[in-house]
This record gives sequence, structure tokens and C-alpha cells, in this order.
Amino acid sequence: MHYYHFLHKDRPVSDVPGSVKLFLLLTLFLQLLWHSFQEPIVAKAEDLAAPLSTRTYVLSSLGEPIAASKFLNLWLQAFDNQPGASISFHQLNYPRLTQWLDTSLELDPRGHYPMLVAARVYGSVKDPEKQRIMMDYIFYKFNENPQKYWRWLAHAVITAKHELKDFDLALKYANALAEQATDDNVPYWAKDMKIIVLEDMGEVEAAKILVGALIDSKEITDPYELKFLAQKIAVLEEKSFKKRQSVEK
Amino acid sequence: MFSQVLTISRFTIIESLRNRLLLLSLLVIGISFSLVEFIGDLAITEHRVTQVAILAAFLRMSAVVMVTLFVVSSTVRELHDKTLEMILAMPVRRGSYYLGKLLGYFYIALLISIIFAALLFLYADPEQVLIWSASLFLELVLVVALSLVMLFTFNQVPSALTGVFIIYGASRIVTSIFLMAKYPIIAHTSIAQQFMDSFIELLTWLLPDLHHFTQTEWLAYNTADWAILLPLLGQTLVYLVFLSFIALFDFYRKNF
Repeated sequence: MHYYHFLHKDRPVSDVPGSVKLFLLLTLFLQLLWHSFQEPIVAKAEDLAAPLSTRTYVLSSLGEPIAASKFLNLWLQAFDNQPGASISFHQLNYPRLTQWLDTSLELDPRGHYPMLVAARVYGSVKDPEKQRIMMDYIFYKFNENPQKYWRWLAHAVITAKHELKDFDLALKYANALAEQATDDNVPYWAKDMKIIVLEDMGEVEAAKILVGALIDSKEITDPYELKFLAQKIAVLEEKSFKKRQSVEK
Repeated sequence: MFSQVLTISRFTIIESLRNRLLLLSLLVIGISFSLVEFIGDLAITEHRVTQVAILAAFLRMSAVVMVTLFVVSSTVRELHDKTLEMILAMPVRRGSYYLGKLLGYFYIALLISIIFAALLFLYADPEQVLIWSASLFLELVLVVALSLVMLFTFNQVPSALTGVFIIYGASRIVTSIFLMAKYPIIAHTSIAQQFMDSFIELLTWLLPDLHHFTQTEWLAYNTADWAILLPLLGQTLVYLVFLSFIALFDFYRKNF
């Protein structure tokens, strides 16, 4: 009885005036006609527009900057996959991309998401020009707060050395790491990247002097770091010796 | 008098349960859970923070919308069904009716805060979730009182809802607007601009400090402690009393 009431609570269709039924069909037809005159929907890759101001995102999220930042991260990350079209990261406008990353960091200054995608997603494309833009962006952010962003610059050193094969750039970043990332939480492998870069550049003597200076400075107290540096000196001396021998021959 | 208040609040709670409000809350929880798990699959780092930030913002907004819709629709139904007139025909003071409704709605706000917090326990630090849900409850208390004020003022659902959402939204962003007006990128001295600046400053005085309530940052970065709730409680009490007297002022003047 209860269900019967629900099923049969409306009047029969025959009670609806004929004009109403007619106009219902006519308006449905009109909508279909309208749609048929529209341009066909075609998937097209959209360019990445410039971000709005940080304040705009704060206001439009009703004062939820962190949620807005996380949402922007996901949206930006998925930008290469637009409805019906797939564009590669190569096609993205990289200078504009860095503006988006900056906006996200401004909304959530504690977040590391934009730095990670800069280093490992957008910085991993096989396009040296675009990789350089991302590495420069990481370096720029590192200079703003070295103790916070040191790990991303360490990543940039590796990218510059192994992917861009630009040892001067790698040395520039490694120098910055050694000089500015001085907090206790920065591990010695990051501070000492300069030695490895110099070694790879064939600057064995310079690397040896640097290691010796680091040990003599008494700034390093960690026994593991001192052991690592002592081993490094031994390796460098061996390399230096072999180099001299090959020159004498 | 107090027994009348309790009876009215009890019936408000019964009505909410019959309106399947709890079922709706569970539905929101289900949708939120699916959403947050989907987001978790998309994020390539800061997985938990991303999930928590978006989930908290979504739950906060959902709670406010649900409570507002329920308070406005339930009270307007009483107005239109003449239930209110029948109650007032009995020896019940208008103040008692208002207080009864308010307490009933507070109970519903509490239930929604608890149900929504339950999902957050899966993703955030439990202590931070408790602080967040306590703050959400205080925020909903103000939303309840604001909804009643708007309804007694406008009598109609669309106008009342529009009023609540405009004032609620303004309360959350008025500080940002004030800072934008106070420290503009291009300095301005026109009379119209000065008038707008003064008007915005006036709003900061009149609206509650909702941007301090229920912050996502607490859950994302574990930054809250219990002491943070004290100023929120103070603001809630002050503004609740203020809103209640506005509502009573309108309610006592109303002819049925």
C-alpha cells in the first residue's frame, strides 16, 4: 500500500493538456536544433595561461590558501592531459610554468610539491633549454631560503652534471650549496658535492685543497663526515699520483 | 520556562533525524572519502598533506552548507505550516522558542562536526583533528545563529540563504580584502576609494573573525594547540549573543 502510493501518486499522462505535451516536444526539438547549429566540439591543446595573483586564489578559496595550493599543484600536474588532447611537457611554456610554481609556493610556503615537480617532472624533459629554466628556478628559490630548499639544488647539481653535462653550472650550484646551506640538518654529502664536481671536472688538486681546508677549518665535527673526507683525500691523492705518472711518461 | 526550551530543542533534533540529515552526512563522508582517495592517487609527493588540505576544505564547506540549508528550510517550514503560530498560541515566550530552536540546532551542528571529524582521523593527527572539529563546531554555532537571523529578517528561503552565504563568505575573506585595500599596489587617494576603504574597515569591525576558525593548516602541518580555541570561543560567544539579540529583536516585532 505504502509503495503503491509512491508509484501512483501522480495523475495519468492523459490528464496533461495536449498543448503542454506539444510544447514539451517542440522545445526539446528546438534544443536539439540549436545544438546542431553549434560548432562541433574538437579537442584542442590549450596554452598555459598566466596565473592570477595569490590574493585572488586566497579570496576565491574563501581563505583556504593551503587547499588552493594543493589543488593548483594537481591541476598543473595534469595540464599535459587536457580533455581529448594530450600535450607533452616539451610544449609547455616553461617561464610561465615557473610563475605557477611560484604562486603555489606563495599560497603554501611550507610545501615542497612545486620544487619536486620542478626538479623531477619538468626538469627531467629531454630539452636542455627547458631543463636549464627549471634548474635556474630551483637555484633562484634556493637563494631565497637555502636551508629549506637545499635538497632540490642538490638534485639540480646532479641534473647539471649528468644530463646537461654542464660542469660549470654544476659547480656553481655546488658552490652555493657549500656556502649557503650551513644548517645542521643539511647532510655532509650535500655540502660536499663541490668536491665531487671538481673531481669529475679533473680538478683533482683543487678538490684535494678543498677537502684539506674543510678538515682544517674545524667546522666539521661529525665523525662520519671527517672519515668520508679523509677517505676522499686518499682517493684524490691516488688520482693525483696517477695523473702525474701519466704526464711524466 | 527551561523545560519548554528543552522540549522545543528535543523536537528540533527529532525533526532533523527524520529529515535523514545524518544519512546525508554519511553520504557526504562517502563522497569525500572517494574524492580524497582519488586525489591521493594523483599526488606524486606530499601525499598526506594534499589529501588532508583538500578534504578539510571540502568538509568545512559541506558542513556549513548542510547546516545552513537545514536550519533555514526547517524553520521556514514551521513558519509556513503555522506550527510556529500554534506554539506561540500556547503559554510559550518567543525567547523560549528561539532558545529551544537554537539549542536543537547546536546539537545537530555538534553531530555533524563529530561525523566529519571521524573521516579526518584516517588522514591527520588525532589531536589536531579534535581541535579542528571543536573549531568547526564553534563556526557552525555562528552559522546556525546567522541563519536564524536571516530567516527572521527575510522570511523567504532564497533571500535568507543568499544573506547567510554572503555574510559567511565575507567573514572568511574580509581580512584579506582589508589588507589588499590597506596596502595597495598602486596608491590611491580618490574620495570613492577612501570611502570603500572605510567601508571595508567597518566590515572588519562588524563581521566575526571566521578566517581564524577551522584552519586547514592545523591538519596539514600540525600547528594547532588547545589554547588556540580560547580566542575562537570568545569570538563565538560574543557574536552568538549579538546575533541572538538581532534575531530576537526581529522575532518580537513579527506579527503572525
